[in-house]
Amino acid sequence: MPLLEAHNITKNYGSVEALRGASFSVDAGEVVALIGDNGAGKSTLVKCLVGAEQPTSGEIVLDGKRVSFDSPTTARRMGIETVFQDLAVAPDLDPAANLFLGREIKRKGLLGALGMLDKAEMRKQAAERFTTFGVTLQSLDVPIGSLSGGQRQSVAVARAVAWASKVVFMDEPTAALGVVQRERVLEVIKRVRDNGIAVVLITHNMPEVQAVADRVEVLRLGKRVARLTDADMSLENLVGAMTGALNQEEAA
Amino acid sequence: MSQSTLDYESTVNTEQQSLGKRLFSANTLWTGLVLLVLYAVFSIMRPDAFLTLFTFQTLLIEAAVLLVLTVGMTFVIITSGIDLSVGSVLVFAGVVGAQVMEGMSPGGDATGAGAGVIAVGLLATVAAGAAWGLLNGLLIAKAKIPPLIVTLGSFGAALGAAQLLTGGSDVRTVPAQLRDWLGFGQTAGVPHMVILAAVVALHGAWLLRTTRFGRNNYAIGSNAEAARRVGINVTGHLVATYAYVGALAGLAGFMSLAYFGTTTISGHSTDNLNAIAAVVIGGTSLFGGVGTVLGSVIGVFIPAVLTKGFVVIGVQPYWQPIAVSIVLVAAVWLDQVRRRARNSR
Amino acid sequence: MPLNKNVVRIGAAVAATLVLAACGGGKIGESGGGGTAPNNKKLTLITGVKAEPFYISMRCGAEAEAKKSGYELSTQEPDKFEASLQSPIVTGVLSTKPAGVLIAPTDNKALAAPMKQLTGAGIRVVEVDTALEDRSVAQSSISSNNEQGGQLAAQTLAKLVGTGTGSVLVLNTKAGTSTTDARAKGFEAEIAKYPNLKYLGQQYTDNEPAIAAQRVSAALSANPDLVGVFATNLNSGEGAATSLRNANKQGAVKLVGFDASPKQVDDLRNGGVQALIAQDPATIGTKGVQQAIAAIEGKPVTRDIATDLVALTKEDMQSKSQYFYKQSC
Repeated sequence: MPLLEAHNITKNYGSVEALRGASFSVDAGEVVALIGDNGAGKSTLVKCLVGAEQPTSGEIVLDGKRVSFDSPTTARRMGIETVFQDLAVAPDLDPAANLFLGREIKRKGLLGALGMLDKAEMRKQAAERFTTFGVTLQSLDVPIGSLSGGQRQSVAVARAVAWASKVVFMDEPTAALGVVQRERVLEVIKRVRDNGIAVVLITHNMPEVQAVADRVEVLRLGKRVARLTDADMSLENLVGAMTGALNQEEAA
Repeated sequence: MSQSTLDYESTVNTEQQSLGKRLFSANTLWTGLVLLVLYAVFSIMRPDAFLTLFTFQTLLIEAAVLLVLTVGMTFVIITSGIDLSVGSVLVFAGVVGAQVMEGMSPGGDATGAGAGVIAVGLLATVAAGAAWGLLNGLLIAKAKIPPLIVTLGSFGAALGAAQLLTGGSDVRTVPAQLRDWLGFGQTAGVPHMVILAAVVALHGAWLLRTTRFGRNNYAIGSNAEAARRVGINVTGHLVATYAYVGALAGLAGFMSLAYFGTTTISGHSTDNLNAIAAVVIGGTSLFGGVGTVLGSVIGVFIPAVLTKGFVVIGVQPYWQPIAVSIVLVAAVWLDQVRRRARNSR
Repeated sequence: MPLNKNVVRIGAAVAATLVLAACGGGKIGESGGGGTAPNNKKLTLITGVKAEPFYISMRCGAEAEAKKSGYELSTQEPDKFEASLQSPIVTGVLSTKPAGVLIAPTDNKALAAPMKQLTGAGIRVVEVDTALEDRSVAQSSISSNNEQGGQLAAQTLAKLVGTGTGSVLVLNTKAGTSTTDARAKGFEAEIAKYPNLKYLGQQYTDNEPAIAAQRVSAALSANPDLVGVFATNLNSGEGAATSLRNANKQGAVKLVGFDASPKQVDDLRNGGVQALIAQDPATIGTKGVQQAIAAIEGKPVTRDIATDLVALTKEDMQSKSQYFYKQSC
C-alpha cells in the first residue's frame, strides 16, 4: 500500500484547468521524482498535496486514510514537510535555531512557561540530526547566512526531514547550487530515504533524476502520463513522456 | 521530532564555543571597546572633571529615558521595521498620565498627590503608550502599510493629540512625591531612574535572547516569509512588538514626567532619531535579523559620553553633532561590510 | 529579500517626502496685486510656535485691542519654531486676504520671501517679537529689547551671587536664533563688568530640556565653581533646573530664566529658579495691532517699538504679577 496517494485530482483557477484528473503515489522509503514540462501542473499538484492549495475535486489518501489539508500547518502536523525552492531559512540565525524554527523546545517548569527556550537541548538535538543526515558544518554557532549555499540547503532539507515523519516534498532543492554542493544535497536525500521516509523530488534536472530517484512519475497537461522505474528511466523515455511521445496511462 | 525511526551516530562537535571566543567575534565587543576608549580619553584629559562619580551618575541618569526608548527600538529594528513615533508617543502618554493624576487630585493640582494616584498615573501612561503602539502595529501588520509611513504619521498625530488634550501647553502639576522618589531619588548612590532603565534593559535582553518571542523576532526580521512558512504568527508578533515599543515609550514618558516635572511637549522631537542612532551604533542591522540589547545600551552611551566629554573639555559645541554623526555612519558602514563579506560566500 | 525590502523602504521614503512636499507647498504669488478690499477688518496673527504661553499672552493682548477697534483677529501657529513650518502658513494666510498680518518670523532671512508676498498682495505687515533682517518688508516692528534683557539678566545674576566669585554659563537655544542670540550678547557684554564672575561662554540646547540638562551637568563637572546659569528661554531653563536639582545645587547655583510662563512662575515660587527676566507679550500684541490698524487706515506708524522687560525674583514677584504669561486669555 502506498504511503501517500492522490486520485483524479482536478484544480481549476477560474476557467483554467491546472490539473485534469492527476494521480500520484509514493511509498515509504523511496525517492520519487515528479517531472514534467513547464505548465504540466507539477507545482499545483504539490501545493495540493502539502495543503497550500485545495483541490477542486479528487481524493488524497495518507496511510490508507482519506485526508484533506486545509493549510500547510495541517499537512505538517500529519508528517508532511516541504523544502522550498527559494531557501526558506532565516539567514541570521544559526543552524540549530533554523532547524527548530517555529518548533522551539522550551525549558521545563516556570521558565518554560515564561517562554524561555532550552537552547542547549536544541543544540544537542540539532547536532545529532545533522550527523544523521551527513550534514557537515564547521560550526553550529555561526549564522546560516555565512554558510555555503549547499550547506544552507542541506540545513533546509534537514529541517524538513527532521519534522517529516512520513513524506518530504522537495521543490528543485539543488537548483541554485554548484556541482559539489548538489552532490551533497543528493547524499542527504538518499540518507533520508534510508531512514524510511518518502521523498518526492520535483526537478527539471534529468541526470539528477537518474542519480537519485527510485521511480519517476511524469505529468503532462495536468495528468499523470507515465510511471517509470529503474531500467525504463532512460533520458529518451523521460523526455518522451514529458513531450507526449510516450504515454502509459491514457489507456488505463 | 520523529526520533523513533532514526538512530544517531554523533560526530558533529557539540561543544559550544567558549564565551570568550563568542564575545570576540561579536560586534558588541568592539563597540564596547570604543565606549571604554572614549571614556578613558576624556578621563585622561580632565581627570578632575570627567572621572568623577557626579559625571558618571549624571551620564547614567540623563541617558535613562532614551535608554528605555532604545530597548523597544531594538526589537522593532530587528524585525526590519522602524518606529519614528516614539518621541511623540512619549509626550502623548506623559500628557495622558499627567492629566489622569491631575484629574484625581483636588482642584486639578497633582503636586500633593499620593502613591495611589501616582500608581494609577503610571498605569495610564504605560497604557496610553501601549495603545498607540498597538495602533501602529495593526496598521503595519494587518493593513500592511510600511512602518516608515505608519510611524511617521503617528509621529505627527500623537503630538497633535497631546496638544489637543492640553490645549497646547504643558501640564504643569506633577506629584512632588513622584519627582522626589523617581526623578531624583536614589538608593545606595544609584539613581532610581537608572535602576528603572536597567530593569527595562535587562528584561528586554532576557526577552530577546532567551525566549520564543525573541527568537521569533529575529526570525521575522531575518526572513519573514520563512517564518510564516514554519507557522510563526508573523502578524500577531509584529502587533505585539509595536505595542511593546509603545508601552516602553509610555514608561519613558512617565520617567520624563518625574525628571522634568512637566510634559515637555515641545521637546522630544529628535528622540526617534537618537534612539535609532543608538540602536544602529550598537550593531543592530537596519536590514533586520541582527542585534542585541546590550549593543543598543552601548549605543546610547557612545553619543552621551561624546557630548558630555566635549562640553567638559571645552570643545566648540558645533563639533558635537559632527562627531556623533561620524560614529553613526561608521557603525552602518561596518554592518554593510560584514554583510557583504558574508553574502559573498 | 533585503533588496526588495530596500526598494520598498526607499519608495516609501520618497512617497513620504512627496506627500509632505505636497502638503507644505502653497501656491506662490497667485493672489498678488490689487490690494485688499476696502472695509476689510480682518487681521491675522502668525506666532512663532503653537501653545507657548508667551504667544498666548501676545494673542490675548492682540485680540483685546482688535476687538476694541472693531477688527477681527484670527491666529495661526506652526507646530514648531521652524521656518520650514511657518512659511507655508504665511502663504496660506495670503490666500485668506486679511488687511493686516502680525507675524513673529522664525528666521530672520528665510521668512523674507513669503512675507514679501504678503506685502505684494497689499497686506500690511507688522513684526512682533522677532524681526527680519530686511527692514523694508514690515511697516513696524514691536519687540522686547532682547539685548537689554540679557543685560538685565547679568545684573540680576550678579546681584544674586553678591560678593562671591565663580563661573557663569549661558544656555542658548539653537545657533542663529536672533532673540536668544541677542539675550546672550547682552549678557556677555554686561557680565564683563563683574570681575568676580568668569564667563564660560554659551552652550546650545536645541531647545530640548534634556540637552539643556546634559549641558549643565557637564558644565558642573568641568567647573566646580559654577555659581550662575542664564537660560535664555523656557526649555533650556527647565532642563537647567532639573539638572541643578539632580546635582543638589538648587539655589547654590543661581539660575536666571527668561520669560514668565506659568511653569516658570511656579518654579520661581518654589525655588527651582532664582530670577526670571519677563517680557511683556500682551503689550507687544496690543501695540502690534495698533500699528497694523494705523498702517491699514493710512495713519502714521512707528517703525520700531521696544517694550519693557522686567526682572522677577521670589521676593518681588507678587507685586509684578501682571507680567506673568497666560495659558489662556
